[in-house]
Amino acid sequence: MSEQDARPRQRPSKWVAGRRGIAAVGVATLATMVLAACSSSNSGSSGNTSGPLKIGMSLPLTGPVADVSKSGYEGYRLWASQVNASGGLIGRQVTLKVLDDGFQPAQSGSNYTRLITQDKVDLLLGTFSSLLNAPDSAIAARQGMLYIEPSGGAATLFTRGFKNLFFAQPATTTDLPNQFVEWVTSLPADQRPKTAAYVTQDDPSASPAVAIFKTKLEALGIRTVYNETYAPEESNFDTIAAAVSHASPELVIHGAVATDGVQFVRSLEKVSFSPKMLFQTKSPSDETYPSAIGTKNAQAVFTSVAWSPQAKYPGNAEFVAAYTKMFGHAPSEDAANSYTAGQVLAAAVKAVGRIDQKALADWLHSHTVDTIVGPLKWDSTGVPQGTMLLAQWQNGTLQIVAPKSAATTQEVLNLKPAWAS
Amino acid sequence: MTELLQTLIFGALIGGVYALMATGLTLTFGVMKIVNMTQGALLVLSAYLCYSLWVHFGIDPILGAFLITAPMGLLGVALYKLVIERVQRIDHGLTIVATFALAMIAEGLIALAWGPNTRATTPPYFNRSFRIGSLVVPQAQLYACLLAIGVTVVLQLVIKRSWLGYAITAASENPEGARLVGVEPVRVGAWIFAISVASTAFGGAALSFLFQFVPDSQDVWIGLTLSVVILGGLGSLAGAFAAGLLLGVAEAMTTTYVSVRWATAVPTLMILIVLTIRPQGLFTRATRQDLAT
Amino acid sequence: MRVTILRRTLVVAALAVLIAYPIVSNDLYYQNLLILTFMLAIGASGWNIMGGYAGYISLGNSVFIGLGAYTTGILAAKHGVSPFLGCLVGGLVCAIAAALLSLVTRRTRGMYFVIVTFAVLQLLALVTTTWSSLTGGSPGLALPLPTWSLDYQNWPFYYPLLGLLVLTVAVSALVRRSKLGLGLFAIQDDEDKATGLGLRTAVYKMIAFVLGGTFIGIAGGIYAYYVTFLNTGAVFDIVASVLMVLAALLGGRGTVWGPVVGAFILEPLANFTSTGIGGANSGAIRLLIFGGLLLAVVLFLPRGVLPTATSLWQRAMARRSRPSPDEGAGPAQRSSASISVSPRGSDVDGGGRVLEVHDVVKTFGGLHAVDGVDLAVERGSITGLIGPNGSGKTTLFNLIDGTVAARSGHIALGGKRIDRSGRATRAHAGLARTYQLPRLFPSLTVIENIVLPERRLSFTRLWRKRVTSPERQRAIAVLESLGLANFADTSPADLSYGQRKLVELAQALWLDPALIMLDEPAAGISPALSQRLADLIRSLHSQGVGILLVEHDLAFLSSLCQHVYVMANGKIIANGSVAEVSADRAVVDAYLGDDVALAPAEVHA
Repeated sequence: MSEQDARPRQRPSKWVAGRRGIAAVGVATLATMVLAACSSSNSGSSGNTSGPLKIGMSLPLTGPVADVSKSGYEGYRLWASQVNASGGLIGRQVTLKVLDDGFQPAQSGSNYTRLITQDKVDLLLGTFSSLLNAPDSAIAARQGMLYIEPSGGAATLFTRGFKNLFFAQPATTTDLPNQFVEWVTSLPADQRPKTAAYVTQDDPSASPAVAIFKTKLEALGIRTVYNETYAPEESNFDTIAAAVSHASPELVIHGAVATDGVQFVRSLEKVSFSPKMLFQTKSPSDETYPSAIGTKNAQAVFTSVAWSPQAKYPGNAEFVAAYTKMFGHAPSEDAANSYTAGQVLAAAVKAVGRIDQKALADWLHSHTVDTIVGPLKWDSTGVPQGTMLLAQWQNGTLQIVAPKSAATTQEVLNLKPAWAS
Repeated sequence: MTELLQTLIFGALIGGVYALMATGLTLTFGVMKIVNMTQGALLVLSAYLCYSLWVHFGIDPILGAFLITAPMGLLGVALYKLVIERVQRIDHGLTIVATFALAMIAEGLIALAWGPNTRATTPPYFNRSFRIGSLVVPQAQLYACLLAIGVTVVLQLVIKRSWLGYAITAASENPEGARLVGVEPVRVGAWIFAISVASTAFGGAALSFLFQFVPDSQDVWIGLTLSVVILGGLGSLAGAFAAGLLLGVAEAMTTTYVSVRWATAVPTLMILIVLTIRPQGLFTRATRQDLAT
Repeated sequence: MRVTILRRTLVVAALAVLIAYPIVSNDLYYQNLLILTFMLAIGASGWNIMGGYAGYISLGNSVFIGLGAYTTGILAAKHGVSPFLGCLVGGLVCAIAAALLSLVTRRTRGMYFVIVTFAVLQLLALVTTTWSSLTGGSPGLALPLPTWSLDYQNWPFYYPLLGLLVLTVAVSALVRRSKLGLGLFAIQDDEDKATGLGLRTAVYKMIAFVLGGTFIGIAGGIYAYYVTFLNTGAVFDIVASVLMVLAALLGGRGTVWGPVVGAFILEPLANFTSTGIGGANSGAIRLLIFGGLLLAVVLFLPRGVLPTATSLWQRAMARRSRPSPDEGAGPAQRSSASISVSPRGSDVDGGGRVLEVHDVVKTFGGLHAVDGVDLAVERGSITGLIGPNGSGKTTLFNLIDGTVAARSGHIALGGKRIDRSGRATRAHAGLARTYQLPRLFPSLTVIENIVLPERRLSFTRLWRKRVTSPERQRAIAVLESLGLANFADTSPADLSYGQRKLVELAQALWLDPALIMLDEPAAGISPALSQRLADLIRSLHSQGVGILLVEHDLAFLSSLCQHVYVMANGKIIANGSVAEVSADRAVVDAYLGDDVALAPAEVHA
């Protein structure tokens, strides 16, 4: 409204304004009808049984997790091209419809709504991070769409009774500590660490897992000497590292999410504190981890992974080779996770033989799917019933050390060397 | 005692780094009353440039910073001439929106040029420390802090002692009068932007070997640099340096003695306290407010 | 077609389309898009009440989305309260938070307020994450899913938000047309001066903030149920805050419909840029497009889309020639200017001193600007204050009206001490002033400027029209006597310097002051206007208004004043009649070297 509005002026008679109003309503209603007619003529294309199979997803291609998302997208692309090369799914070629949400949950939700109702995609695939998968899985559930997510293992997602949600990793974060704790338990009492420090980012994929670590390790008699949670915005770890050094624990458990894993190790290097054992979530499996902390310094660092390039599961070696050929660099865990999600979807579609969201979900609830992360099966809430792999950097390679069935080496280093500078 | 000293050392060193990163913003905010929201993006751009020089030619990021000052300065002039100066003529208040838009464009261009992957430079000193007894002095922070002192002193000299200094004072206090004596405010503005953006080269270099970065990292740094400038008071370089130190020390003390979780809240809390109790900043004196009448 | 009619037609048509749309189309994506657009429009309109009207730019308004959403979410997830009731509680929480935030504005303005709001947003986000026993912490808070049949699509979100949007815009329009809005625009232009005219600006701002925050809070509650999952970063989101500001700027800040128009451009744009481009670089390209468009708007449509479009339309429709602004700048209708005033307190006791200043001290750093001044103004008298530049006259005025606080000393108005009262209270007690350089409110018309002063705070008055008919009549009469009646509805920018001085005097007199302080009223104005001014001052004198006059023009002064004080270096060095002080040795010394002629050689008749 312009400034003149506050000033007295002649007004048109009520009658004139009223009649114009009525006319406007009429015009508007007609316009809406026309618009609606147009959009409903589009909707005739839903439920296609021929032509390419449209698979939709919204990914955070910009914003703070853009790098993760890029790998994930590449995993999806590789999967789609392989499916198409082998004749497609139920005789139809697969096309990916990918939208960007900039890591904004509202935008991500909008995008999935659009994929379902506007683009009329035949199938969905999930996105990255629990923060996006939580609202998106709810939209899929409400619309009765199958939702297979490559990431998003926070416990909150699986407490809402969704029947169409499946997590395409071997286990959720709740399972993350198990293999490491089992390994520590298996050590002779005198080789177990006596003291431990717990440092974690306040993040759904890190802090709950670290809390479980603490409970289980304390039960083993390992004394807690330091326990702190930092905000996701934290960028300066020197002081934390100094405090950890001051507490001088034998074991450090670090709930790292992204760059904080590297930053924390760099700070430990600066204060020259090298714990006997170091476990970090997520970060050590990142391809840039060794170079970012100094290649020798990764030696003997533990982490937990959903997937390993060396794992002997069927198709895994082929995945690594094909990915490297297609994109010119080795696949990351995120790429493997989205590739796995594609495998799960493909298995269900092939078995059911048609696009029926409920039938697909029912099939997945009652079957086991072979993937590059091993055989996957799910409980009624979509939580996978497998186990995470315990990995350790050994001489420049991230080796799987547990469980025995997936191990790529029998040797486990239980003493981390001091930092090399 | 050792713990306290160690905390103070870490705090002071990182505080110097904060001040270094905020220098460009201090200048534009102080002299031209422009909140340059591109500061974060310019820092990240400088960090990427240093990264490229490091990866492709093995040039140390600190040396790299000196190499990129000239192009960054030119970029500053271009930004000022093409955007800021025009927007200022329309409505000064809109400069914050315009620079916000520029930051988005810059992030997009950085993402196109370097991709979304996390980067960092790793010169030999990035994870080494000097030791004084049981105290640790990280080399990377120390060099960054020395850079901060150097940049602050040089800029302070430029502003206090050169033609530009007088021109800045004249143009900001009385643009009409300045024009009469041959000081063209537009030219002064271009110089300030040139210096301001060129000085982010050093902040960016420090960023490249102290932290990891992605195109999106600018968000983190704009908030922090803004805090430094506000705490320091209106655009005083020495004030900003003191504010950076204070901020760093307060953060480190909070981490050690209060709670790690609240450390990132320290800049925010300090801004709130300072602005509601002492709006003119911590390091400026109250002046006679009705002097103009 | 006139702008108003056009606008009304467009609004009715748009509303009809929006009401009909979900019924005739079942497209959930466009419903979703509209729901998000309504959210943004409510947010931008609410922001506009504080940011557009009062000029307090907040970058933290998503605090209200966060508080509203979390209140609703906690009530729904932990206590089973329906989100549609919970959102009202959310609105209440936001109202309280907004009232508290408005307290910050007592000390912080401009750029600093922007930053404070930004800091508050970050801090509340951190508190919400950390207080995990209540909020679910970093893993987030899941709300129950909607239970209604899919046949109803998103109607239960769509229509309440549309209704809320209509309500928000209606309230925003009401505020803009009322005295509250008038005061808010005055606060934006010159808050100090508005306080001096008796406006309780803290109350104005508090109402504006509460109105602005409450609606966003309620919308946030509905939004929580819509997304079914809350996480601190997603609702206490700086991007959402920035989008509100951008929507308002884009559409037209300070206008009623601008923020809505801005939201209807921005939200679809954000969606289409993210859905229309594919591939790995889509994100970067999206940033380029969005940033580029934003920059283009700032450079080419700085006032916003709506005001630009309105003025283009008006220009296209302007068939008849506008009257030239000089028209009506003629002489006063009456031979001598006068404004009728009923000075406060004059009916209580006829005589005595209206102003007493005793031993007042003010220092700035080491400088004693006012150093132990004693001064008195007899009721209904004209008292002069002279002194060289920098002698502390204006500072003394600022001490008397409360612009700056005295370090020590007493100031009494009509026998009551006022030196500890706020400026508005002093104005209510009957103190008014004008400034050396007139400070009219450029966003208000001349007549709005005149009727702005507030003699006491009344909540019912705040909701009246900007200028009521009796006020208009009286103000027009005042303007007529000043020869400015034709300028009533123009901007003060159209007035000459001298005319502005007259209008500012009329504005001050609207307070019915017992004492008016005039700071160099005759400086820099034409002899004719100066004459009119002298007439006016005499007429005020005859009506019993006490006058304290700072003036360098001794001729002007001696024609009016019975008593004169002389100030130098912050002290009163002499007082008496003009003739007496002119002969004073100390006064001559103080003025030595000044070009001011002390002898009242030529006195105005």
